[in-house]
Amino acid sequence: MVIPKQWRGGSLRFVSVPGIVLLVSAPGFAATYLTVEQAQQVIFPGQNFTAVALILSEENQKALETQYGLPVHSVKQKIWRTEQGGFFIIDKVIGKHELITYAVGINPDGSIRQVEVMDYREAYGDAIRQKRWRRQFIGKTAASSLELDADIKNISGATLSCRHVTEGVKRIMSLYELVLKK
Amino acid sequence: MNLCLKNKIRRCRPLLGTYVEVAVEHDDSGQAQAAVNAAFAAVERVHKLMSFYDPESEISRLNCLAAQQDVVVSVETYHVLQRAKELYERTQGIFDITVAAELLERGVLPKPAFFKKQKDYYGRTKDIVLLPDRSVRFLQPLQIDLGGIAKGFAVDQAIEVLKQNGMDNGCVNAGGDMRCFGDEEQPVLVRHLLAPDQFLPLPALKDAALATSANFYEYEEKDPLLCAQIHGQTRKPLLAPLSVSVRAQSCLVADALTKIVFALKKGSAAVLSEFGAAAFIVYPDDKILCYDGKLLRKGKLG
Repeated sequence: MVIPKQWRGGSLRFVSVPGIVLLVSAPGFAATYLTVEQAQQVIFPGQNFTAVALILSEENQKALETQYGLPVHSVKQKIWRTEQGGFFIIDKVIGKHELITYAVGINPDGSIRQVEVMDYREAYGDAIRQKRWRRQFIGKTAASSLELDADIKNISGATLSCRHVTEGVKRIMSLYELVLKK
Repeated sequence: MNLCLKNKIRRCRPLLGTYVEVAVEHDDSGQAQAAVNAAFAAVERVHKLMSFYDPESEISRLNCLAAQQDVVVSVETYHVLQRAKELYERTQGIFDITVAAELLERGVLPKPAFFKKQKDYYGRTKDIVLLPDRSVRFLQPLQIDLGGIAKGFAVDQAIEVLKQNGMDNGCVNAGGDMRCFGDEEQPVLVRHLLAPDQFLPLPALKDAALATSANFYEYEEKDPLLCAQIHGQTRKPLLAPLSVSVRAQSCLVADALTKIVFALKKGSAAVLSEFGAAAFIVYPDDKILCYDGKLLRKGKLG
């Protein structure tokens, strides 16, 4: 790696340029990774999918919702069976500031095959302020392709926990155990 | 080669306790998908070997057994332990993977059944002996948590896999520990933790790694006991409300150096230059301390 000259050497120092606003506001950071079809092909390449109509007894529905905390209505329409007996299920989880759509692939033997995030959305406060800001801070090469919120891609910061998705996958697996498993 | 035909693929999976994003660019979409799959597999392998949380991981095996007997580990774990020892030496013990004992005592990490109290685990990184046959022995009882450097290493491994698979451009971001390669500059933003919808733009990343450690949440609302940054020498939590980003050649080094900058602040200049790294420190009042003043200035919330 070549470190650009301006970053090399020198000592640490404070720098202040009054009047220049540095921070970029992006209250609606979002990233879309995969469509339903893409997620299916990523997890079960080359397979065919049949939508599964989930018919739940009242008892099972209650068990899922109270015992496991799975909002059944949201996944009910989002289950597919593969030709080889695996399952592909789409679910959403909501954190304090984030909404995540993800897909779980379950192998015919009931083990988790793969988890893929399909869509990640983050929301804070009010609408995006001062669009012109971002123009001055984004690298020239990328500026032309940069769209509001959708394209802010490389974000660093304190690590975001994937706890919500991990918990969601556990609920999906209880749905599988209770209803889908033969 | 027609650039318009390039396929951009960007995928994200929950791994290493966070969201890991892999992005590549290549002419052949099949090859690109295969490369991304292989990169995720590399991350999964590191996760499996080095997770503190997984009782089956090599790190958990070491923590449980290595004070009593030699334990053979994988090439990867051995390599990361070598790097950890090197960082320990070069930072006079400020970077120390054995602060896990403090983190366990404080409840930041979940206690394994055998763990009684912190005082029982007084060993330091210097007490980890790496034997030539890839086995590991602890000279004193101690607990290891590779934490961020395992995450950084996973990113480095994924980048290697993408390169081996012939990708032109690639970027891997494991919850803020990121690394890119190729001709393209990648714009990078650092989250402002006092106002998480605010981002501070850092210089675009090109063939380099960047990692960030931040303490704003701890300062704002959490119990100081839950602070995950511990000074290796003093064993005291680093409570300063800061966001520290370090740019380096490898993501493992970038992540490790964030801890050093946290502990030493301006005093870290020598260590940083030794590693050819640059640091960006953001204070809650938006004062920014950086290696060179040309690109970063004092900012204000808009």
